[in-house]
Amino acid sequence: MKEMEDRIPSSASAESSPTPVPPMGSNLTSVFKRITRRLASFRKSNLSPRGQRSPRVDVEQEEFQYASTTCLSSYYSVFVARLTIMVMLAILIGMLTILTWHFTKDYTTKSINSLAYDLRYELLQRPILRMWNILNATVEITTAQVKLSEYVIRRYDNPINQAQQVELYQVMKDVTWALFASRKALNAITINYKNGFVQAFHRDHSSNNTFYIYSDLVNYSISGTHDAYVMSSRGDWNDESIHGNLSAIWYRQPLDPITGERIGKPRPIPPDELINIAGPSQVPDGTASWHVSVSKFTDSPLLSAALPIWDASNENIVAVVGVTTAFYSVSQLMKELVEFHSGHIYLTSPEGYLLATSTNTPLLMNTTSGRKLMMAIDSEDPVIRQGAQWLQRVYGNKFPPDHEVHVENARLGHKQYYIDSFFLNLKRLPMFGVIIMPRSYIMGKVDERAFKTLVILISASVCILVVGCVCIFILTNGVSKEMKLRAELINQLDARRRAEASSNYKSQFLANMSHELRTPMAAVIGLLDILICDDGLNNEQFATVTQIRKCSTALLRLLNNILDLSKVESGKLVLEETEFDLGRELEGLVDMFTVQCINRNVETVLDLSDDMPKLVVGDSARVVQIFANLISNSIKFTTSGHIILRGWCETSITSDDGEKKSLERKDSRSTIKARLKQHGNQAKRACKKENKVTLWFEVDDTGCGIDPSKWETVFESFEQADPSTTRTHGGTGLGLCIVRTLVNKMGGAIKVVPKNGPGTLMRLYLLLRMPVDGAGQHCQTEFAENNLAVLLALNGRVGRLIMSQWLQKIGVFTWEASEWNELTLILQELFHAKKSKPGFDVHSSQNVVQRAKPNAKDMKNWFFVIVVDLGLLDLSTEIWKEQLNFLDKYSEKAKFAWILDHDTSNAIKMELQGRGHQLLINKPLYKAKMIQILEAVIKERNHELHKRSPNAPRTVTDGNLHECLEIDPIHFDAASSDESDMSEIASLSSVMGLQFEEKHKERITNPHPDGRVKDCLIEFTQIQTRVRKCEKEEQGEQILTTSCAKDEDCSCSGKVENEKKSLQGLRILLAEDTPVLQRVATIMLEKMGATVVAVGDGVQAVDALKCMPNADDSRRKSPSPYDLILMDCQMPKMDGYEATKAIRKSESGTGLHIPIVALTAHAMSSDEAKCLEVGMDAYLTKPIDSKLMVATILQLTKRMS
Amino acid sequence: MEGVAQLRRQLVDYLTSLFQEGFLDNQFTQLQQLQDESNPDFVVEVVNLFFEDSERLLNELTKALDQPSVDFKKVDSHVHQLKGSSSSIGAQRVQNVCIAFRNYCEEHNIEGCLNCLQQVKQEYSLVKNKLETLFKLEQQLLAAGGSVP
Repeated sequence: MKEMEDRIPSSASAESSPTPVPPMGSNLTSVFKRITRRLASFRKSNLSPRGQRSPRVDVEQEEFQYASTTCLSSYYSVFVARLTIMVMLAILIGMLTILTWHFTKDYTTKSINSLAYDLRYELLQRPILRMWNILNATVEITTAQVKLSEYVIRRYDNPINQAQQVELYQVMKDVTWALFASRKALNAITINYKNGFVQAFHRDHSSNNTFYIYSDLVNYSISGTHDAYVMSSRGDWNDESIHGNLSAIWYRQPLDPITGERIGKPRPIPPDELINIAGPSQVPDGTASWHVSVSKFTDSPLLSAALPIWDASNENIVAVVGVTTAFYSVSQLMKELVEFHSGHIYLTSPEGYLLATSTNTPLLMNTTSGRKLMMAIDSEDPVIRQGAQWLQRVYGNKFPPDHEVHVENARLGHKQYYIDSFFLNLKRLPMFGVIIMPRSYIMGKVDERAFKTLVILISASVCILVVGCVCIFILTNGVSKEMKLRAELINQLDARRRAEASSNYKSQFLANMSHELRTPMAAVIGLLDILICDDGLNNEQFATVTQIRKCSTALLRLLNNILDLSKVESGKLVLEETEFDLGRELEGLVDMFTVQCINRNVETVLDLSDDMPKLVVGDSARVVQIFANLISNSIKFTTSGHIILRGWCETSITSDDGEKKSLERKDSRSTIKARLKQHGNQAKRACKKENKVTLWFEVDDTGCGIDPSKWETVFESFEQADPSTTRTHGGTGLGLCIVRTLVNKMGGAIKVVPKNGPGTLMRLYLLLRMPVDGAGQHCQTEFAENNLAVLLALNGRVGRLIMSQWLQKIGVFTWEASEWNELTLILQELFHAKKSKPGFDVHSSQNVVQRAKPNAKDMKNWFFVIVVDLGLLDLSTEIWKEQLNFLDKYSEKAKFAWILDHDTSNAIKMELQGRGHQLLINKPLYKAKMIQILEAVIKERNHELHKRSPNAPRTVTDGNLHECLEIDPIHFDAASSDESDMSEIASLSSVMGLQFEEKHKERITNPHPDGRVKDCLIEFTQIQTRVRKCEKEEQGEQILTTSCAKDEDCSCSGKVENEKKSLQGLRILLAEDTPVLQRVATIMLEKMGATVVAVGDGVQAVDALKCMPNADDSRRKSPSPYDLILMDCQMPKMDGYEATKAIRKSESGTGLHIPIVALTAHAMSSDEAKCLEVGMDAYLTKPIDSKLMVATILQLTKRMS
Repeated sequence: MEGVAQLRRQLVDYLTSLFQEGFLDNQFTQLQQLQDESNPDFVVEVVNLFFEDSERLLNELTKALDQPSVDFKKVDSHVHQLKGSSSSIGAQRVQNVCIAFRNYCEEHNIEGCLNCLQQVKQEYSLVKNKLETLFKLEQQLLAAGGSVP
């Protein structure tokens, strides 16, 4: 920009240089300067527009600084581009200006120049013509005079006497006068006779007098003429005779100019007064002659012509006639012309003598020797002098051949002139005409106009340039801003791409790693399987190993989940659509976390409303994962208090169930709730057709809470509410991100909502489909009519409260106790005071009225269930036995259900068992367990009633009771198998272990130890193999039936035996190129009883399949030679995929389908997808887990058969 | 009997050390598990197979990497096979090197590949020695009248 402006004035000055820049130019430059300054300031302000704004907004400034540093290079490029455009614009406009200038000026100049040339030519031509005319006229007159004189002289040839002579002269005089009078322009006519007599007429133009000049006749005799003849013949007749003839007397007689009458006396005049009399000397060769002469009487030079008069014989010159004409008239004409046109004209002789000028300056020089012609360079007129000097300087004596010179810009003095010279080539009298015209006369206007045009053009172009520059600047400014933005955008895109790439790497890494992790895990599991089958383990070891086996499975699951995580992150997650029992999943989850919370004084409570659908369709693993993440998150930050997982159905909100308003839920939350609800409602409306249900959940904890400003960001990846979290609590910050992703994926939303008191309340809703058959709706057993009353003696306040409220709602009367003393008090009051006075309650006044009535009734109709937390007993000392004894007193009147901790020692359990307490339940107590307790109690009561009644004295109580008890664990097993994929948490393994242990211990409470171990094993295999449940259950049943009568060891070996030969009779084709693997797999399969044919590559495998059918007709019986193919994926010649494709191709049309199981070392699910895509039926990873392999094979072959 | 017991202890110790030093992993145990009366020499057989296979593969690899223009695909598949077979017998360290080897292969890093080849060879000869020693011990034990644990 700056350069630009620097350039403009310079170019302007350059362009206007031909003429001196008038004050206007300085005005322009000052304007330019001002504009430059303005623009500079404008640019500055544009440079840092944000910078000026910045004091207000710090962040913006930072952003700007960031942007300015990153975009510095782009700024420069913009600057350069801008500059280039401006320079180009300037050049364009400059060229336009110059072109316009050129066309306007040059053309006019040329045309005017030619006009001017014509004018000058014309101007000069006229005096020259005049001159020509004069010359012609002179010549004509002279000729006429000569002719007349000849005639007259011949007439009077040889005059005899004086009289004749006089007469001759008189006639000559008359003739001459006639001619002289007829030509006014003539200066003089002279006749010089041979005898020396002279006759002359002379006209003085200055005084307008006409004279007749003659010599004295007296001196001329007739004889004299003779002498004259002699003289003449001798050639002795010269001019001297006139002037030198001092003896002759000259007379001058004034004449009337018009009539020629004598008007005065002739007076003698001295010879010097004489005019030029042409003598014989001027006609030396007898022809006419010309010359320029000077006379005393006139200021201008004279043109003299002389002609001789010949005698009749044409041999002798009788007289000489001279005619003199003044150039005066030429000068006059020139003056007139110059007056009209201005300028100067002059004529010179070839020698340079001035003949005529357009000025009044004298043409003659007075010298001592008389008047002389003046040289043009000596002219008194400065212009003429300078012009002549200039010509002489330029050309010297070497004029161009035609002697014509046309100079346009001759500088004379301070002005410019046109100088043109013409050559007039007269015989004997060549002449030059020079015209000097001031340039300004012709071009003055044009030059002025041209200058004005130039100034206007330049100023206009400068204006356009400035405006253009400003426009460009503004334009490019916008563009550059946009460019900056784009550059930032590109940077960000780049960063995003890089981030995505790194995320891809991460996923890849995870996938690879998980593969590498799976291998050892598979080994561990395999080894554990082997160990479990080992005969030499005692019970304790067996339990430990089983536990380890479970942990390993959990760990493997975790690894699988890591794979899933990368799936979630890459957005490839596809949700399953299977039916599952939501309540059961959540119960299992809470069970798990309770174990985790045991040592932390944190109570985990599950509070699901009764209207929750029992069965929903969705991805159970993901749903559980959501809650597992949320709860584990809560547990992490909650050191004391409780964690409540609430759930209700959308309808329960709309119907505004009072129960849901319980506890901490406060009205203050209603706004957010409403907002969430709105979402939910919309979603609900949209999904109503699809039989979807909106389920609401809350995870409420009393932990450290989340700062409201972070409520949104906690769901971001790697975002933690407090950076110190990692330090104190660990974790990656991925959990909530995954949760949100999953929730959104299920068509729901999650939010942190404000809550009163410490802690965090997360609320979310999920859209889940209901099963099509509509089954699984909450079927509520009516306990109300069973006259149940429950005394809840539980440690956890919140759990107890929720439980009691729920019980009351379903029509069961409750009492609550939170510690031992309270329990005893209630018991005593209940059972002792019951008889005396009807119901009272100190603690729960709310229930008094309700309970008043039933208590008033006969207590026989009421069945009391006392739920006692083992934690209420003082277990540290032996007092707990005393306490048990105390409680035993009531065992007749009430049924006890014990809530155990997970670490409750066997001794206590045995003790309780021994005292006949069969209802031992693990923490936490939730509805499902409560229902089981109540159902068990009701059943038992019914039995007891039966037993008491004499009709049914059977002792099936125990058995039935066991059945009741078993509902819980089996139920749990089913849940655990369902949730097999769910957990993200590392602690799961330990939890599972604990669960197992717990189950194990629970079984110990069973009266049948055999059955315990047996069941245990069944379940173990169920969980372990994780294949189709039905099949396994079938297998389990089989084992159950076979090993029922055997003892523990037998059952074990029986099972192994069973498994060993499980592939009996199967024909398996193994395609595996690695000999080692081939051998191992062969042995493995053969050990199971299968017949194995091993081939080395895909081609062989395909061939093996092909040739067999032709070999025999046995294919009639079994359509294929093999029951199954184990196919390695990576093989030489033809890999597994290709081979499978080929096999499937050959099968097409035959209706056959031989199961193909892929063997691959890749653990990625994409490989699995690829395998299934090419037509394989299942997928096993190397190294081969024999159990999994067997299960897969069995499943496939069974399906086939 | 004393000698047998000692041999047996020696064998167990040796095996344990192999596991501890990471030469072998659980897959080897599985192999041993598969050995029974019907396949009394199963482990030796498989391990010998492994030796043969590995030597062939190592030769191929050496040749392939000697070429002026290395066919990484080929190398990769060889390494993959080697990895598969080594993992099948539980030669953990060979397997681990194979994993690194494959990474270099994917990067087309000849330098790394050559390095890995050396390592693989070294690990292979190590494990071969170890296993041979192990089998020798077993044979001694069997010869002494003991039974392999």
